[in-house]
Amino acid sequence: MSLRVLNPNAEVLNKSAALHMNINAAKGLQDVLKTNLGPKGTIKMLVGGAGDIKLTKDGNTLLKEMQIQNPTAIMIARTAVAQDDISGDGTTSTVIFIGELMKQSERYIDEGMHPRVLVDGFEIAKRATLQFLEKFKTSAIMGNEPDKEILKMVARTTLRTKLYESLADQLTDIVVNSVLCIRKPEEPIDLFMVEIMHMRHKFDVDTRLVEGLVLDHGSRHPDMKRRAENCYILTCNVSLEYEKSEINAGFFYSNAEQREAMVAAERRSVDERVKKIIEMKNKVCAGTDNNFVVINQKGIDPPSLDLLAREGIIALRRAKRRNMERLVLACGGEAVNSVDDLTPDCLGWAGLVYEHVLGEEKYTFVEHVKNPHSCTILIKGPNDHTIAQIKDAVRDGLRSVKNTLEDECVVLGAGAFEVAARQYLINEVKKTVQGRAQLGVEAFADALLVVPKTLAENAGLDTQDVIIALKSEHDKGNVVGLNLVNGEAVDPQFAGIFDNYSVKRQLINSGPVIASQLLLVDEVIRAGRNMRKPT
Amino acid sequence: MGFSMQPYGIQSMLKEGYRHLSGLDEAVVKNIDACKELSTITRTSLGPNGMNKMVINHLDKLFVTNDAATIVNELEIQHPAAKILVLAAKAQQEEIGDGANLTISFAGELLQNAEELIRMGLHPSEIITGYTKGINKAVEFLEQLVESGSENMDVRSKDQVISRMRAAVASKQFGQEDILCSLVADACIQVCPKNPANFNVDNVRVAKLLGGGLHNSTIVRGMVLKTDAVGSIKRMEKAKVAVFASGVDTTATETKGTVLIHSAEQLENYAKTEEAKVEELIKAVAESGAQVIVSGGAVGEMALHFCERYKLMVLKISSKFELRRFCRTTGAVAHLKLSRPNPEDLGYVDSVSVEEIGGVTVTIARNEEGGNSISTVVLRGSTDSILDDLERAVDDGVNTYKAMCRDSRTVPGAAATEIELAKRLRDYANAETGLDKYAISKFAESFEFVPKTLADNAGLNAMEIIASLYTGHGSGNTKLGIDLEEGVCKDASEMNIWDLYVTKLFALKYAADAACTVLRVDQIIMAKPAGGPRRDAAAAAAAMGED
Repeated sequence: MSLRVLNPNAEVLNKSAALHMNINAAKGLQDVLKTNLGPKGTIKMLVGGAGDIKLTKDGNTLLKEMQIQNPTAIMIARTAVAQDDISGDGTTSTVIFIGELMKQSERYIDEGMHPRVLVDGFEIAKRATLQFLEKFKTSAIMGNEPDKEILKMVARTTLRTKLYESLADQLTDIVVNSVLCIRKPEEPIDLFMVEIMHMRHKFDVDTRLVEGLVLDHGSRHPDMKRRAENCYILTCNVSLEYEKSEINAGFFYSNAEQREAMVAAERRSVDERVKKIIEMKNKVCAGTDNNFVVINQKGIDPPSLDLLAREGIIALRRAKRRNMERLVLACGGEAVNSVDDLTPDCLGWAGLVYEHVLGEEKYTFVEHVKNPHSCTILIKGPNDHTIAQIKDAVRDGLRSVKNTLEDECVVLGAGAFEVAARQYLINEVKKTVQGRAQLGVEAFADALLVVPKTLAENAGLDTQDVIIALKSEHDKGNVVGLNLVNGEAVDPQFAGIFDNYSVKRQLINSGPVIASQLLLVDEVIRAGRNMRKPT
Repeated sequence: MGFSMQPYGIQSMLKEGYRHLSGLDEAVVKNIDACKELSTITRTSLGPNGMNKMVINHLDKLFVTNDAATIVNELEIQHPAAKILVLAAKAQQEEIGDGANLTISFAGELLQNAEELIRMGLHPSEIITGYTKGINKAVEFLEQLVESGSENMDVRSKDQVISRMRAAVASKQFGQEDILCSLVADACIQVCPKNPANFNVDNVRVAKLLGGGLHNSTIVRGMVLKTDAVGSIKRMEKAKVAVFASGVDTTATETKGTVLIHSAEQLENYAKTEEAKVEELIKAVAESGAQVIVSGGAVGEMALHFCERYKLMVLKISSKFELRRFCRTTGAVAHLKLSRPNPEDLGYVDSVSVEEIGGVTVTIARNEEGGNSISTVVLRGSTDSILDDLERAVDDGVNTYKAMCRDSRTVPGAAATEIELAKRLRDYANAETGLDKYAISKFAESFEFVPKTLADNAGLNAMEIIASLYTGHGSGNTKLGIDLEEGVCKDASEMNIWDLYVTKLFALKYAADAACTVLRVDQIIMAKPAGGPRRDAAAAAAAMGED
């Protein structure tokens, strides 16, 4: 072979061998992920190098944790991960859709079709499907008062695919409320304003939404209050500890008196800053039983803590940067960088601040705030893998709510869209296409059916029965999806199963692109130096 | 190179060293097997007649115990599914502090029964639905079984405390529960704050001193420190205490200081001023009325000298937490710097004395009046492992006290509750239609393992006991349990064996949760064990090879 002449160490796969390698890899990956799909999907257990356990049903997590080596599989996995980055969901669907496209193509290629023709068909079908999606979507106008029911249905659909039902239903409200909480009119939604905090405590169903903030540290002084009501919150980024000067300085003294004076002088500037805060506290809290809480991004050293504690001020040091932003959104006020120009306007307000100790860990809750624009989802669970699982699911749930708010439309779920699109492609689009590209459209249309098929398979239903039932309903003009409990057709609108529009669009856009690329590969070459030891 | 013509399937796509198990036989059944193995280990330790295990951990430390939490912790379980059970037990231990064995054994039993169901042809997801229904119903029933009147308890009444604590302690130290319970109850009641819900386990300390026997164990109102006093004054009565968090020494600036000396006189004078400064400080402390100085850091030679001169007793407590506890015992406020303390910041102790117990020098700070914040159980025993085991029993007792402070409801002990739950669940299962029925009735059957194990461990005939328990419960005696000493069935209220409702509740819920989690997994993808000590890798390989 010519390549061998150029580089004797290079490896090459030709024509059909290359194609089959790609197809096999795509099918292999599909096999792994297909059991994940849908509410009846099963859980995978990932065991890390250190023996740590991770349980997941989320395609994205699985792809990230599984270190895939096969080059084709990596390509598909990357597309799926990109899908997650853009729309937050639909990773599993992407992988199985690509796998199915490859599988359908294999049939035609084995019969002697040229991949190029199939790819042309894919392109036509893709455009047609996207147009169909525009017609098919159900618009949901999100004004200032978004329809909570729709949001809940979308969130529930996503969450149920990641967690078991009762927990998913509970999280639905949490997720929807938290997104609505941080939503500001005329501004894009920043999901980072939802803090996700976890505690290893009690049960997964104890997960709740905290309107306010939970910080994962506590005050560092034994005499500070553990619980305070009606608190002013000072959010600041002021160093309240002695800091060494940048230049190399030293003291010279000739007796102990002088040294004492030096010790006192050294602390003076820090003490003054602390005094300003105390003055502020006395000003706003004088005569009332209100409390004062200082949350500082920089450090507070023990002597300063002591001073604050004596005044009954709760002080937290070394808060996270992101929490400073969230605190201001949650409690009001503003973050100050200097204590010199402190005014009562800078202060936030919280009805309740308390510390919760769990073994070695301390948590500080800032709750009962007025008009919060930031909130915390507090995840609880008896062990780390449960928490990790909920965390992944919550992230996806948040994304789905955000997508709905931004898309202002949803798509009927439970496989209804896929079946409808397939019927549309076969019955209408295919006829308008000239020549062999028709077969590409057909392959694409059949590949779409993989979603309802897999849903049925995971629920232990008979795939063929289900597909036939769904097709005939659609031909009658009824838009129906699959009821996973009894395998019958159901109207997704009634069942409240809605998917994100952007997820579907992304899926239809990216799937065929990768599949086409893989189909058009006719040579796989591995050359260059292999850094690893040969196995 | 495995590049050309790759085999089909997932294995080929993963990095080398990865393992992939999937499907019913490879994943589910093997996981169940591993969990069963684990639960057979802990099961024999259940109950008062449970056997001890001898565990030698990776540091060659020997444990002789029947405390399941310790056993599974030291076993360093590698198998991922078994690990889920261990995590459930740990959660139970953290949440309640007792009942870890029940969690593991019950989860193991549930899984064992699930295996039978799988062999019968049920799908794991159906078993999960059944088990979920089972646990929800069991929790409902459990609430009905709560002994009426037990929700109101006086957490300061020793008798009531002991009746609730007895079962927990007896399962760890059978035969010695009376002595231990009374010690623990006394210690707990002493430190119980006004609002019992705020009871902190940390306030009951345990000091283990080798020698003597359990009957020599005592309670100290205050603290026992395993250190000697720093100075020569070893005893002080009714003294005020000043606590300094930093060391008792000359002060220093944060920035590096240099003594600038121009002449020999100055050198001489410097030492003098230094001395004068320290003397002034110590004198100020002494004048404030303090007679005991507690330092959180180093005690300077010079400072010590002046302390001796002003007849101050000096103690050094280097642990920050220990120092904090000391502050709580005496009611002192810790000062950061050595300075004249405010009179109100001084603490008070009835007596501080250095004593020698069993060859160990200890400092005992007693505070009989007022100071009710810390109490110490001084445990005596002949060997380290006995002491460790006693300590675990005390810990369980203290944790039980904490649990009862929050929720004092009790259920009948001695397996009476389990049999009743089994009976009621079985009735419920029979009323149910559909495939769940089988899973629920297996769930009910799983409860039988408690009386069975208790009887087995005590050398009784388990089948006979269970049969007579069922007859008793069938005729309406819901409190019928096993009397392990006489080998007959007796009313739990007569024997005065009660279990805490919360302990049972959490143990059952965690166990069911763990069992369902194991059943939900149908694929395992394992990374190559990371590098590290060879022994671990070999052990991991062995653990995986067995499954």
